[in-house]
Amino acid sequence: MRARLRAGEPAAFAELFDSYARGVYHHAFRLTADWSTAEDVMATTFMEAWRLRHRIDSEGGSLRPWLLGIATNTARNQYRSNRSYRRAALATAAAELNVPDHAEEVTEQIDDQRELAVALRALASLRRPEREVIALCVGEGLDYEAAAKALGIPVGTVASRLSRARRKLRSLADAELARPSGPPAAVTGDGRSPAPRPTRAGPAQRPERSRGRREAGDAGRQIPGDRIDTVRPAQEGNR
Amino acid sequence: MSANTSRPGPGEWEEAARLLSRTARDLPPGRHEHHRERLMAHIEQAQRTQEISPRPEKARRFRLVRPAIALPALAAAVAAAVIVGTALTGGDGNGDGPRRLATGPALTTRIGAASPNGVGRLLDQVSLVAAKDDHPVLKAGQYVYIESKAADTFVKNVDGRVSLASHALHRRQVWYSPDGTKGWLIDPAVNDSPEGETLSLPDEQGNTPVAGLNHPSYDYLAKLPTDPGALLAKIYDETRGQGNSPDQEAFTTIGDLLGESYPPAALTKALFKAAARIPGVVTVNDAVDAVGRHGVAVARLDETSGEREEWIFDRTTHVFLGQRSVQVKRGRGAEELVKPGTVLFTSAVLQRAIVDDVKQVPARTS
Repeated sequence: MRARLRAGEPAAFAELFDSYARGVYHHAFRLTADWSTAEDVMATTFMEAWRLRHRIDSEGGSLRPWLLGIATNTARNQYRSNRSYRRAALATAAAELNVPDHAEEVTEQIDDQRELAVALRALASLRRPEREVIALCVGEGLDYEAAAKALGIPVGTVASRLSRARRKLRSLADAELARPSGPPAAVTGDGRSPAPRPTRAGPAQRPERSRGRREAGDAGRQIPGDRIDTVRPAQEGNR
Repeated sequence: MSANTSRPGPGEWEEAARLLSRTARDLPPGRHEHHRERLMAHIEQAQRTQEISPRPEKARRFRLVRPAIALPALAAAVAAAVIVGTALTGGDGNGDGPRRLATGPALTTRIGAASPNGVGRLLDQVSLVAAKDDHPVLKAGQYVYIESKAADTFVKNVDGRVSLASHALHRRQVWYSPDGTKGWLIDPAVNDSPEGETLSLPDEQGNTPVAGLNHPSYDYLAKLPTDPGALLAKIYDETRGQGNSPDQEAFTTIGDLLGESYPPAALTKALFKAAARIPGVVTVNDAVDAVGRHGVAVARLDETSGEREEWIFDRTTHVFLGQRSVQVKRGRGAEELVKPGTVLFTSAVLQRAIVDDVKQVPARTS
């Protein structure tokens, strides 16, 4: 596959597209907060992949991290500032919630829309670099190393950005929970959420242990790492 | 804050994952295919530029639309696997475009002698014959079917090494609806799958294609003026700024309208009459179509590229056989390799008919 892509074989690019367009689109949406911009970013990503095909190593695993890296760069070019992102996120969130109250509308669908709006507001509360790592690691399930490679930053930086982002999201979610039935909490004008408290055992403090670990992709799945905190002392004691 | 939230860990992992899982929504129906087609068109165009095609503009027009891979890549892969070993190249991946067609050395021919004399007379005879081909009018729901054979020579560029290569002679079958929005194409120089591919597609911007001189539909052709003067004026007007010279572009445009279309006889007649009024049009005493049929040709030399486009007619019946493009003067720059006598493109029209559905082939008449 890699050799065929390097050689510029159109059929190989069609396969690449079929395999990863969906994921790239999801990722692009998280980074642009706009459906049609996400589509453009997705399309551009694959055209970029074609242009950059000579950079594909003949050896290696999945090309997904590489594509997601290109998509991240492309999405970055869409908005000059984080303020533009916030504007887009709030507009998309508002559009999601602004659905006429049809009786036949399925409750589930309304819930989906409400939850999407919450997620967008949450993403808008992050700084761009935080949003990028959270989209790569949590959204698309890349491990820290792959995300680091995709972004061209050290693994430790991925870990620390991720931990900061998570804390922000958590505190935001708490704020949402405090007002369950009303409209979700709006992001403050400057997009900042309450500063997280420094912690002792957060992932930021042990980036080396995070290598190769994968984030949970779905809510229902068991979270890798949620046991480690309790098990680790014993393991280390045995070494 | 509660103890649960002050301590980072499971709660935060979960929260982030839960939030993000809500943002995964799929593309609206059809958009995936749309973008894949755009990507394929993009790649194809990039490759064509890379090939330093001796005739980027013309190649596109002769080959008509290449709407990319419409079938799942898997199907194409399976098909390719089946076909391996039957003189087809398969995916050797050296970027020379079509994957199911053998390539070979440049095609060559003997260059026929050109003369400015007798063009008017020949085109008169040709248009008289064309006027007699009074086929039924195409109705909605029907399709124009055209079967031809074609081959071409192209400049291949592999890692900077430039050489001439050709696509072997192959059959091309095309179906078009009257308004040109629906169709099917089977052409191994273009398709990835032996089944061919649909032409019923929106263009790159997602718009339904609008017919024009460079991409005419049957309906469009049927509405063109049949007065040669008015027709020619329209052609000059609408191709202004295109091609290497206005006269050459007008001639080429008429050639394209003749090649893969089945317009009402009155228009075919008008096209030939109009061509007779273009300066620089000559007769060629001997020319061969793609399937080896010899005849006489109406031709015009493109002074810029050194290519001569020839419309070939049967010497006695004056029936249109096909057309080809021959290098008669040495090419320049990237086209230096293309020596005089090289056949850049050749085709032979084997059958034109009206059928009731795509992929339907009429009983052969003749």
